[in-house]
Amino acid sequence: MEPIYLDYAATTPVRPEVREAMLPLLGETFGNPSSVHRWGRDAKLKLEEARARIAALLGARPTEIIFTRGGTESDNLAILGRSRHQRGAPVVCSAIEHRAVLKAARAAAEEGAPLHLLPVDQDGVVVVDALDEVLEPKPAVVSVMWANNEVGAVQPIRELAERSAGARVVFHSDAVQAFGKLHIRVDEVPVDLLSISAHKIGGPKGVGALYVRKGVRLEPLIHGGGHERGLRAGTEDVAGAVGFAVAAELAHREREEQCERLGRLRDRLQAALVERVPDLVVNAAGAERLPTILNVSVPGANNEMLLVLLDLEGIAASSGSACSSGGVDPSHVLTTMGLPAEVAGPSVRLSLGRETTEREIDQVIEIFPPLMERLRTMSGV
Amino acid sequence: MKRTVLVAMSGGVDSSVAAALLVEQGHRVIGATMKTFCYSEVDGPTQTCCGLDGIMDARAVADRLGIPHYVFDVERDFTRDVIDDFVDEYAAGRTPNPCVRCNGNTKFRDLLKRGRMLGCDAIATGHYARMGEDEFGNPVLLRGVDRQKDQAYFLWGLPTELLPRLLFPLGELTKPEVRERARALGLTTAEKPESQEICFVPTGNYVDVLEARLGSDHAALTPGPLVSTSGERIGTHDGYARYTVGQRRGIGGGHGRRLYVIGARPETREVVVGTLEETYRRELSVGDLNWLASPAREGDVVEVQIRHRAEAATARVVDATGERVTLCFHEPQRAVAPGQSAVFFSGDVVLGGGRIERDA
Repeated sequence: MEPIYLDYAATTPVRPEVREAMLPLLGETFGNPSSVHRWGRDAKLKLEEARARIAALLGARPTEIIFTRGGTESDNLAILGRSRHQRGAPVVCSAIEHRAVLKAARAAAEEGAPLHLLPVDQDGVVVVDALDEVLEPKPAVVSVMWANNEVGAVQPIRELAERSAGARVVFHSDAVQAFGKLHIRVDEVPVDLLSISAHKIGGPKGVGALYVRKGVRLEPLIHGGGHERGLRAGTEDVAGAVGFAVAAELAHREREEQCERLGRLRDRLQAALVERVPDLVVNAAGAERLPTILNVSVPGANNEMLLVLLDLEGIAASSGSACSSGGVDPSHVLTTMGLPAEVAGPSVRLSLGRETTEREIDQVIEIFPPLMERLRTMSGV
Repeated sequence: MKRTVLVAMSGGVDSSVAAALLVEQGHRVIGATMKTFCYSEVDGPTQTCCGLDGIMDARAVADRLGIPHYVFDVERDFTRDVIDDFVDEYAAGRTPNPCVRCNGNTKFRDLLKRGRMLGCDAIATGHYARMGEDEFGNPVLLRGVDRQKDQAYFLWGLPTELLPRLLFPLGELTKPEVRERARALGLTTAEKPESQEICFVPTGNYVDVLEARLGSDHAALTPGPLVSTSGERIGTHDGYARYTVGQRRGIGGGHGRRLYVIGARPETREVVVGTLEETYRRELSVGDLNWLASPAREGDVVEVQIRHRAEAATARVVDATGERVTLCFHEPQRAVAPGQSAVFFSGDVVLGGGRIERDA
């Protein structure tokens, strides 16, 4: 059996159209966009076109799009950039944010910002009313991801953004996982800052963007030549920006159709696994979820061996564990959702993408249950 | 017979070649490195064996061999089974052998448990030892052919039920042959120096681990009386856990002869020193026994190895209960250290072993 990739939430293959579009920027259009001469102007043109195209998809102005080197950097810029602009003001974020937000928030706390974490319910959805308690004294930023990357739970962003706006508090959303899958427009929802990333939607790794609503002030993290309106110094990655724009447009164009197709596949996979794996737990089942993510727990199976076994059998998936050398701390997201360790531990995230086929889902439905059976039997030994 | 084998890869040349040989032999091989403690807390170059560099090296070798490689986190169990024991033993005035504890607990048993979940029916390591069969076809553990490198001494603690599932690809080779193989295979680890240190002692000084775990004001690490074998106080030592039985100690101050550590008495914090002659003993008892063959009985004459780099010596079993065996050696043995392993051999066959106990 050909190995099956079900880790699209981690990253996606670069699309051929994206690669095509990037090549000239890795070839004859090599200029530095800041240069006065024609090489510079040609590159600058491409950069600004890319910026405008991405802005259009979001309903933003081009001047409101800042290119960064990825989603993590965008998150750091949003959190620390805001916190350093209003030193001492609290930072608020949900307890289930990606580590890029949580760690940046902790860094802000080290610099003197009181940190408040918004709780979530058992389906991984932020408790909106909890926000009201932390809007005074005014935080430097409130950050809640558009949809959670581990379990897929879609957050009540409109509600949260509106309440923040009402209190005149800057609202940031990490939309790295949701962009290209959900309808996201900053002219419809009053978010002030939005993080997005290219490699989650068929673009290259190493490029992302932060939407910064006009009027919102930030301290830059990377200092230097004043690029990106003084918010992100460094000679721009024009090839990356162009790739990002092409990937974003394609994703946008195909969004509804792909989401409908993948949602169906995901639901079929979920139903089959629930039927065939006794006591399987579907995490965040009660929430509205991204159509591409299925996070399940297999109580009784050894945490650590779950992914290893799947990999050996040709299924690529992931889980929420931390540590670069292979640790087994259960996902902070599942733990915050209230799952006991024996359920949070043996969890796996299967995520679908454009290239996922019916046949692959059929194969996973065949292979997964007996593997879990074996794992459970051996785990008790 | 082709098997699905999980091979423990430390990143060193031995386990690298072991994995390569298994692949050559046609087995389905999966490589694994066991993470025994968390590197993020270690400054400076990480040790060989289970440090982060070890993992990277093991991964590189696995990639070269075309086999999958995973990292297993055994930190919690390893801390409990090996590190805690290490610290407790020193606190009790004994000299532990953590590699023996690891082999008897983490390295083999936990590895096999994980291996079985992955569909493996055997596990392998780069130890210089061999598996054989007795006349009834039961698996027996044997010394490796390279007498200098033989590591059978460290394996006495293996649970017997594991024996049918063990493979030791290096047992028939010498160390120079293994390095040669590594070079021939183009393995990045061919010239890597041996791991001399204990894997969980990042500084190379075991006392640092004791200080961290016991506190530097613990009785084992603070000064106490240095006494002669007749009980006379002759000086002060700086913590009984810092000394090993047999260690020479120059005291000066008129004794005129060299003094050697005979033992420690944690109850009184004394370290007993004596002459070279006084470090020799004929009798010792061995507890915490593990038998891979039938247990020794009273009256048996056995070959016992009490140090890694030593020949086995002949001894008579003067008493054997289920819990301990008391031995009387034909020749007096030097510097018998409580806590160290006493391993019983019959020729090359490992019969079993245990831990040397302190004299009453």
